[in-house]
Amino acid sequence: MILIGEDLNVMSKKISQAIKERNPEPIRKFVVGQTQNGMDYLDLNVGPLTKEPVETMQWLVKTVQGFTDLPLCLDTTNPVAMEAGLKTCKKKALINSASGTSESKEKMLPLAPKYSAGIVLSVINDAGLPSDADERAASILESLEFANELGVPNEDIWIDPVLLPVGVDQRQVSAYLEFIQMIPDLAPGAKSVCGLSNLSYGAPKELKVLLNRTFLVMIARYGQHSAIVSGFDEELIHINKGEIPEIVNLIHRAMNEDDMDISSLPQKEVEYVKTTQVLMGKTLYSHSWLEV
Amino acid sequence: MKYEAPLEKYPVNIREAVLGKGEKAIKIGGENTFPFHFFEGSLPDPPGLALEVLDIQPENWSHWVLEPFQDVVSDPVSWAKKCVDVFGAEILCLRLLSTDPMGKDASPKQAAVIAKKVADAIDVPLIVWGTGTEEKDSRVLTEVARLCSGKNLLLGPALKGNYEEIAQIALEHGHAIVAQASMDVNLTKELNIALCKFFPPEKIVLDTTSSALGYGLEYTFSIIENVKQIGLINRDNMMQMPILADFGGECWRSKEAKESKEQGILWEAITGITFLLAGANLLILRHPDTLKLIKEMISEKK
Repeated sequence: MILIGEDLNVMSKKISQAIKERNPEPIRKFVVGQTQNGMDYLDLNVGPLTKEPVETMQWLVKTVQGFTDLPLCLDTTNPVAMEAGLKTCKKKALINSASGTSESKEKMLPLAPKYSAGIVLSVINDAGLPSDADERAASILESLEFANELGVPNEDIWIDPVLLPVGVDQRQVSAYLEFIQMIPDLAPGAKSVCGLSNLSYGAPKELKVLLNRTFLVMIARYGQHSAIVSGFDEELIHINKGEIPEIVNLIHRAMNEDDMDISSLPQKEVEYVKTTQVLMGKTLYSHSWLEV
Repeated sequence: MKYEAPLEKYPVNIREAVLGKGEKAIKIGGENTFPFHFFEGSLPDPPGLALEVLDIQPENWSHWVLEPFQDVVSDPVSWAKKCVDVFGAEILCLRLLSTDPMGKDASPKQAAVIAKKVADAIDVPLIVWGTGTEEKDSRVLTEVARLCSGKNLLLGPALKGNYEEIAQIALEHGHAIVAQASMDVNLTKELNIALCKFFPPEKIVLDTTSSALGYGLEYTFSIIENVKQIGLINRDNMMQMPILADFGGECWRSKEAKESKEQGILWEAITGITFLLAGANLLILRHPDTLKLIKEMISEKK
């Protein structure tokens, strides 16, 4: 799976301060670290960027490009900042993100053909987030048609089914899994992407990585193309490279079997099985899902 | 060829909880199918129907709901006896409103003495309900548990912030508890897992909190229904406790209930029967006519 490193994010105090002070040093650490860890893209999450959008975005893109050769995924809701970033990118960039809302269709989507960029297109539309897989399909078909007419080929579209936290609504996780299997038929040639860490939002801190890693294996099996992930979760990166096949096989087994005998498994494997069962919707989620 | 309708079989049972002691003890739960699915499985225990008693004179109760208790509202013991002897209540719920820190703020000891008097005066099971204030409730219910030792009361609500104290003292003195997590199946499970580390699951009744008709009943319905489905279909043993619904107060605050007695009773009865259809095993009711009406409705079903 293609991995997009999420760690350059203004939600981090260090990053937001570095951007504010135009200080490249703290940024270098995040860029170089994620690059060395084998990320395929770097996400630059700058939020709405209400102050000096053009200047700030251009500074950040230039700064990051000074430390890495990786292509960038520009993550802002501000189309002015987005356009400034796209002008500055040396490589084919990824716009993160557009959706089926009228505003996004009008302001964000046209940037993709203009700059020959890839674009993340979420299933959200003016009615909000679709509640199940079929509604997601209906929404994305409509947005795809619009994007194609603007001149964006399916190959440049990265469909985001929108992953909600498992602790908020487990049924949405099941809907996600159902939907990604539909994508090849709905949109031949299109890619898929998600914000993986959102899955574990609100979960106990020490258990977040377990949810994220397990889900990565599950969606990879269903044909997911890429995910925005922590560029510093080494086990996740190893799993993605195929370096821990026993965990991958175990998760696949837990996806297939309803009553898996876990009594003889070591603790770590038991945890992966229980987590798979939660993410498949077989077991109700609670913060103590590993304790039962 | 004769057509036979396919029937679902669930290989598990909702746990059966026993409330009270002796001949008048009541069992709730125990079913291995969904509500009123008599054609499909076994529902050994009819839903428990409790009437409310307050430990202080009710404030802001509408005329229609105060009327049946007019002669007893100043004394919780007489009130309780009237509910049993005259209105045929088989379970009572004593609300210790006097202990509300924002109100009279009565001491745990004072409240426990009243609870003991009420418990001694009746032979039906007694639910003792705090005010939902975590710190105060844990002190109040601790005192109640001690003073009424061995009576197998149902004490509640045990919440995220006080379940340890309440469950511990209930365990020592032989009582059951109500585990309350509001409108969230995940948090309900979370609380149950924490409780079951030291407390017997068959002594737990769940309260996912209930809203009356017109105040979010649909949402409550889905939560109760979902808890039952997870217990029976997913066989999740942390979600197989009987469920209670407590909504009388909210029903009688509605505009419709205040307008006429008939509307009020229907409002409360429709809310109650709806929760029974969702899967509730125990209802706490306010008006004796509602009790009568629901009893009639569910006995016809059988």
